[in-house]
Amino acid sequence: MKLNVSYNESSLREIQNRAKLLYFALGIMFLLLIMRLVYLQIIQGETLYTFSEKNLLKEIRVQPPRGTLYDRNRTILAENLPNFALTISPQYVENLDSLAAAIGKIIHRTKDDIVSEVKKSRRLNGLYRPVVLKNFLARSEINQLELLKIDYKGLDIEELIFRSYPYGDILSHVLGYTGEVSESELPKMRDLGETFIQQGDVVGKSGIEEKYDPFVRGTPGTSYFKVDARGREAFEGAETLKFLGHIEDLPPKSGLNIETTLDIDLQKAAHEAFKSNDQTGALVAINKNGEILALYNAPTFDPNLFSKGISMEDWSALVNNPIRPLRNRAIQDHYSPGSAFKPLVAVAALQTKQLTENTYVFAPGSFRFGNRTYFDHSKTGQGNVTIVQAIEQSSNVFFYKQGLNLGVDSMALYAKALGIGKASGIDLKGEVSGLMPTTQWKKEKRGEPWQEGENLSTAIGQGFVLLTTLQLANAYMGIANEGLVYRPMVVRRIFDSNNKIVKDFTPVLERDLTDKTQPYYVSPENFKIVKKGLYMVANGAHGTARWAKIPGFTISGKTGTAQVRAFSSDEIYKNCFARPKKQRHNGWYVAFGPSEKPEITVAVLTENSCSSKAAVPIVRDFFIAYGKKYLGIAVSANKEDTHGL
Amino acid sequence: MDYNSQMQVGKKNIFKRINIYIIFAILSLNTIGLINLYSATSNIASHLQGIFASQIIWIFIGWSAFMLLTIFDYRVFVKFAFIFYVLNLCALVAVMIVGRSTLGAQRWVDLGFFRYQPSETMKLAMILMMAKILAKYNAEKGLGFGDLFVPALALVVPFILTAKQPDLGTALLLALVSGSMVLTMKVKKRVLLSAIAVALVAGPVAWKFGLKTYQKNRVLTFLYPNKDPRGAGYNSIQAKIAVGSGQLFGKGFKNGSQSQLEFLPEKQTDFIFCVLSEEHGFLGCLATLGIYTILLLSIIQCSFMAKDVYGSLICIGVFALILWHVFINIGMVTGLLPIVGVPLPLISYGGSSSLSIMVGLGWVSSTFYRKDMF
Repeated sequence: MKLNVSYNESSLREIQNRAKLLYFALGIMFLLLIMRLVYLQIIQGETLYTFSEKNLLKEIRVQPPRGTLYDRNRTILAENLPNFALTISPQYVENLDSLAAAIGKIIHRTKDDIVSEVKKSRRLNGLYRPVVLKNFLARSEINQLELLKIDYKGLDIEELIFRSYPYGDILSHVLGYTGEVSESELPKMRDLGETFIQQGDVVGKSGIEEKYDPFVRGTPGTSYFKVDARGREAFEGAETLKFLGHIEDLPPKSGLNIETTLDIDLQKAAHEAFKSNDQTGALVAINKNGEILALYNAPTFDPNLFSKGISMEDWSALVNNPIRPLRNRAIQDHYSPGSAFKPLVAVAALQTKQLTENTYVFAPGSFRFGNRTYFDHSKTGQGNVTIVQAIEQSSNVFFYKQGLNLGVDSMALYAKALGIGKASGIDLKGEVSGLMPTTQWKKEKRGEPWQEGENLSTAIGQGFVLLTTLQLANAYMGIANEGLVYRPMVVRRIFDSNNKIVKDFTPVLERDLTDKTQPYYVSPENFKIVKKGLYMVANGAHGTARWAKIPGFTISGKTGTAQVRAFSSDEIYKNCFARPKKQRHNGWYVAFGPSEKPEITVAVLTENSCSSKAAVPIVRDFFIAYGKKYLGIAVSANKEDTHGL
Repeated sequence: MDYNSQMQVGKKNIFKRINIYIIFAILSLNTIGLINLYSATSNIASHLQGIFASQIIWIFIGWSAFMLLTIFDYRVFVKFAFIFYVLNLCALVAVMIVGRSTLGAQRWVDLGFFRYQPSETMKLAMILMMAKILAKYNAEKGLGFGDLFVPALALVVPFILTAKQPDLGTALLLALVSGSMVLTMKVKKRVLLSAIAVALVAGPVAWKFGLKTYQKNRVLTFLYPNKDPRGAGYNSIQAKIAVGSGQLFGKGFKNGSQSQLEFLPEKQTDFIFCVLSEEHGFLGCLATLGIYTILLLSIIQCSFMAKDVYGSLICIGVFALILWHVFINIGMVTGLLPIVGVPLPLISYGGSSSLSIMVGLGWVSSTFYRKDMF
């Protein structure tokens, strides 16, 4: 390598000459520092030594109240309640045993229990972090403890804030829960620019509480105490020291309030419906602008447990429960849609002119392709059917034929336009994307070419297709809207304590399928044909959900029964309930209403329920509540029979 | 030029080619740092444990860099100064974009084993860049108006990027180090006077029209820590108590009540001097400043002995870098200057900063190593 040498001797000499200036710089700066040190350590030394001995000022962080969460009609969903807590500051305790014994009598805990908790915290958090021994002290306990404070050091009753969820387990997954920031989360949050956050701060841990935490959390305040040698507050308020200057308390700033798009009455209806039908699964109700009206998962949990500081037993019970109550299935888990996928295939078939509304297709009980036989759910099949009838009766063979005609890429074009196979963009964390396969996907991810036979399984929503309950609800809303697909949202407004709007979220139109310039263009007429089929499912003579009509309120929809794994031909008609629970089919029912002018779409998944029959009544019960509230219809369920799928 | 012949010159008197004073000073400062770090972290919350061990590892890494760079020709770095500079700017921009997308400010990239802070290496890149630019001018004549354009441009871009992060401390250090290098290079009198005049006029104008309210608040907070809502005023007061209460002899190792009782923020990094002055008193402070003096004087010595303009300028740059760090840090904890996040070189805990100081000193050592060459 050739390196330049600055041989400019005269310049070098001049620079080195002037570098003597650096002596002056060094001299002046160090002299200043030494003079300052002399002033502080020698002249003021004694005064400051006294200050340091007295530890005059102690800084205390004051937690802010979190913002209130409301539903769309401003019903409170999450709020703050006062919590009087008993705390111990280990550094001031002189005789832990006798203190623990005295406290134990009042709060009904054993001495050993208290001693071990204090020691554990001292080990984990150091000497200076107060230990909370009991939350929610009763008035009588407070009175007794106040008396104890005279004799014992380091004992305190603090007024803390408790995050309360008045509807408990009804809104658990969508609102989320809060808790103290954990040691592992702290560096992560600091990386995200939350440099102000400290151990002991309360943050949102899931759902809206987590996603909107920066808005809802608020800013902690600081309060300055004069503390005496016993660690007790000597007197309150701001402290003025002539030499040290003046500092004032900084009150905490409460977090911003949030108006969600949720409707607590509908959320309750979802909760009730799952409970009375005794199912696990998910429900998503979305309005025509993409606003989520209800999002519910069963099983559920009580977020108030976390606000109180969840006990190890409760926590491990929740985490180790095999049916995973903490899981927000509606967005975090994807499933095969089964027959509920057929309407999306129907859209593709009509738009690509594989057939018209009046084309009859022969749909027998089974279909031979290659060297394999593909079955219908009915042994006899449906005979000659139009597309509307095929949707009504959920014909498999009809859709096998459409799948073969279309090919997977053509099905994927329209399904993806309706939001299948990628995250919907809902304002909640942890959403999965699901999967809409294409020939290219299979080549890249599996290293194999697409098999013709896989078009058949794809067309009936089996095989590789995976989607979330939310995606399916949103896709059907898109069909009901005749092509307008919105981005789902759960928060529509952020406002401060003076009711001043800080941020408004307007619905975002993700895609317009009736835009003729787009490759996924679908004519409104074709949507209308598919909607006719969906109307027949809920209302036709052979409709698979006709048994769950709601008098006075017409809905349209589609059922689905999705296998959780492939079965051999002799297994296929075997009694599903005879199988182990995990192998039983999942049930789907997705419906929108009112049929003439759809306002809302509801998707319900019932896990391992064997058929859609479990999902249909949940949707029905939900629509009854919706009809009551929004249409003023006093509807009652029509529980006559339960034919068909 | 013939490399082989150079190496032969070198092999004969290798010990004369290494500056013993610099090595002595660094070792002493490392020791002072570890003593105080141990005191600050030995008996407190679990999250600080491991810091001591990790600092020892960083000291070893720093020394390895120092030795390698001593033997390595510093002119290679000058040759590629522009590339370092541009890469560093890219890193700054990248960090800013990442920070933007995830709420607010971010100053580092997580490389897994440590967090790389581009603003730290920017200080080094700036010294190289300035040396490269300034070497082109003739120091005897002094720099005229036109000559200042390129150095100013080289400063402004990283200055704005770091100030926007917002890391006003690093931005100011960049300006102070570059300014010190330019001034040592000699500036024509009328240029100097007009620069001062322009600054006096432009300052208030920029204040009035150039800055948004929140930026003004940021500067005000910077100037008046007692008004800082984050309680920097409290920090400043507690720091002053800690320093002053050490008096002449200090309270003794691990006996500082301020330091041990968590009255001090960030005591292992920016406020480590509080621990030192509280526990070892005025005499301890004086000894530490004495060792810094030895280090800084040795660097000036190296700049005198350097065989070319690059070497001399690099030494001046590293000198300025360390002096300003020391002055701002101690000035800050003693209440002479507002609270800015500036570490104490070779004493504060922190990987990025201790490594970058050792790299700078490695270059200085390299100019000394090569003082009899070419």
